[in-house]
Amino acid sequence: MSEEIKHKEKSFCVFSIGEREFLLPKESVINILDIKRVFTIPGAPDYILGALPFMGKIVPAIDLAKVYNIEGIDYSNGKLIVIEVKGERIGILSEITPFFVDFDAEMILEDLIDPEKFFEQLKVNSQSHSEKKNDR
Amino acid sequence: MTDKSDLIKYFLIEADDCLNILIDGIEELELRGYKVETIENLFRATHTLKGSANLVNLNKIAKLSHKLEDLFEALIKGEIKYDSSHLSIIKNIANLIVVMINEVHESGSEKSDIKDKDINIIDAILSKKQLPQLKYDFTTYSVPQIIGKIRIEPKKFEDIFSSLNEVFYQKNRIKDKERELINIIEEISNSSKKLSKLVENLANIEVFPVNGGNQRILDSFSTGFDELEFDTNLEYQILLNKLKEITLDIKEGVKLLTIFSEVFSSFLKSFNRENTYLIDSIIETRMIPVGKLLHRISEAIKDKAKDLGKSVEVEIIGGEIKIDQSIIESLYEPILHILINSINHGIETSEERIKKGKEPKGQIKIKVESQGNGIVISIKDDGRGIDVEKVKELAINKGFLSLEHASFASKEEILSCIFSPGFSTAPKTDFISGRGMGLHIVENEITKLNGTIEVMSEIERETTFIIKLPQHLTISKLLIFRANELDFAVPVNFIEEVLPVENFSDLAERRVIYHRERNIPVKIFLEIFFSTIRDHQEGYLILFNFSGKRKALLVEEILGFEEAKIQCFGKFLEGLNHYLGYYISSKDIPRYVINPLKIFEEEFKIKKSSYDPIKSLPFKASILVVDESLSVRKTIQTLFESKNFKVYTARNGVEALDILKKNVINLVITELEIPIIHGYEIIKRIKKDGRFKDTPVIVLTSIGTDKHIEKALALGAEAYIVKPFDEKVIEKQVLNLLKRE
Repeated sequence: MSEEIKHKEKSFCVFSIGEREFLLPKESVINILDIKRVFTIPGAPDYILGALPFMGKIVPAIDLAKVYNIEGIDYSNGKLIVIEVKGERIGILSEITPFFVDFDAEMILEDLIDPEKFFEQLKVNSQSHSEKKNDR
Repeated sequence: MTDKSDLIKYFLIEADDCLNILIDGIEELELRGYKVETIENLFRATHTLKGSANLVNLNKIAKLSHKLEDLFEALIKGEIKYDSSHLSIIKNIANLIVVMINEVHESGSEKSDIKDKDINIIDAILSKKQLPQLKYDFTTYSVPQIIGKIRIEPKKFEDIFSSLNEVFYQKNRIKDKERELINIIEEISNSSKKLSKLVENLANIEVFPVNGGNQRILDSFSTGFDELEFDTNLEYQILLNKLKEITLDIKEGVKLLTIFSEVFSSFLKSFNRENTYLIDSIIETRMIPVGKLLHRISEAIKDKAKDLGKSVEVEIIGGEIKIDQSIIESLYEPILHILINSINHGIETSEERIKKGKEPKGQIKIKVESQGNGIVISIKDDGRGIDVEKVKELAINKGFLSLEHASFASKEEILSCIFSPGFSTAPKTDFISGRGMGLHIVENEITKLNGTIEVMSEIERETTFIIKLPQHLTISKLLIFRANELDFAVPVNFIEEVLPVENFSDLAERRVIYHRERNIPVKIFLEIFFSTIRDHQEGYLILFNFSGKRKALLVEEILGFEEAKIQCFGKFLEGLNHYLGYYISSKDIPRYVINPLKIFEEEFKIKKSSYDPIKSLPFKASILVVDESLSVRKTIQTLFESKNFKVYTARNGVEALDILKKNVINLVITELEIPIIHGYEIIKRIKKDGRFKDTPVIVLTSIGTDKHIEKALALGAEAYIVKPFDEKVIEKQVLNLLKRE
């Protein structure tokens, strides 16, 4: 057995919506919640399905299917991945129970979500700007 | 505005911080003796204090701080050696500084004098001379100024306040649980009564006509009755007796439980009382008398009036009333603004006043009153007043008031236009001469504090501004209502009245109500939030008063009042400015606190969402279960909740119909034998009402005769299941019916 050069590895959280898979850096994931009831927030953009109470605060549940126009999604057996960005907690809905994998740190991952960018792109500015954000 | 009074304000904020460090340091020194870090802290505090006192020409404070600073410096550098005799000297000077800063708080300047011996004694130490043996008389300085205060680290204080939040949450939770407990006991008690009745009936039925009671059994024994029959009979009697015994036990148990719950409730009540007192006391630590602020402002105003050649008298009533410190700080600008307007443009010169037959000296009266959960500050001057007609004219020109509305608008409503943005920038402002100047900003500031401002005026006589504020910002009192399955709340500060909608008939078309001689525009919450239009209106009108402008909001279901700490939405959701924030209720349900000012803006309406909330929610559907038996309700509720259904339960027909009316129900499961309105009637009403006629109904009953089944199905029930039931059967039936729907 020849010795392989050990690459530096990084952990990611994998989740999926429809056919698409997404990755999140493991360190930003702080919890994975069951979806019991999502409370709609009237006036929030379409891609925010609602809010879930978590530790005395609410976590907005972001529906990426709305962002990427993926149809026929059923979250009834899904999970909410709670991530912490800029000191705030936001949630991303996943159709499956997310799992963790390790990849070579050097690898370029196409569907990797950068939490900070994600936060900035999707944050709710004001009611007039609340149309769907289709950036891809 | 950076006049002296402003600078002094900032100085005092800084000085209070420095004093805290100073006092802490001295305490350290006294308890632990000399430590270089302690002296360094003391040095920095006195250094800062000296600098900022110099800036505002408070020379005595600066001089004393300087002396202490020199002493601490020498101690740090080791030029002199610390001994305990230094402590009393340091304390002495620190006391003097405290006294002077308090004087500045009250009057804006230092009143006490520095005695030479105080300075000399430090100079003596500094020149390393032998200490003169002077006896110090501490009573000459107001020591309690130091001792009377407890200092808490700001961080610690924040911690206390955030745990208050938790206390509130738990308190509401316990209250809910108590209600639940009472309901459960009531249910058990009812069931126990029914059981007693049943056992009584059972005892009266003659199962074996020949052998009714114990006596006869004995008789039958002697007459040599058939052995088998005897055994059955005896077993039956034993069973009946046991049943009687158990029934009595249950009855006794229920009695004890009832007593327990009453005692528990009374304990809880006194616990809550103490808890409220504790919370109030903690909140009060952050409150300071409003007089402190008002006296400072009024001194500044009198000086300013003198500069303008006017003479005013300021009377302050109710200055002892306490307000949250953060509110006081935010009140400084608005109140100063109103008063400056008043002396600039309201109060006339003495000559003018004499001509008008007024007292030569202008009168300004500031009155503070406590009203329920809030504070009312009224600022009244006896100057020129505001010309309502001219305000009206300008408001129409500027488009703040429509011609139609102006024809019936009340005087106070017209006057409230002076708070509109840009009102003052109109070219012809001379009649109001700048009174509008910045009043929009004033209103803004007050609104930020969840308060309102109104103006009243009589021309040539007086102008009064009325500011209404919550007493503290930490805890808000809220009115809670429900719409479309969600909970909302609104701060009571803005609410004037809540009226039942029945009193106003043609509201749906006109969107205006006539109430207390006013026409008040109405918005319908379901419409602006959910684009839901109902042809019949029911519910309540929440009447708001925004600085004199009245508006009404129609909501269908009011849940009550609650006190809570509002949390803000955070950066991710900060664009949702139609909310002030939210809090999580005791049932772990978020309650969104709406911003009433925002939703009454002309064009405010939430765009209808492109998806159906019920479908996109993980809820598959909502089910109503009507049954008198707690166990049946619980079993079905647990079964379907675990499958992500929303389950409503009702004990009787009236409750059932009420739930149907108020919520979206996709399927009904009902027993036929239920109190008040029986099951057949429920089916009939559901199937006849256009709103619910398509809602499937499953009959789940213990009556299994063909006649009943036929009747139920004829009335329109979709399925009939006889108890005892198999969970799988009912689940399959429900899923089938919902699929069909």
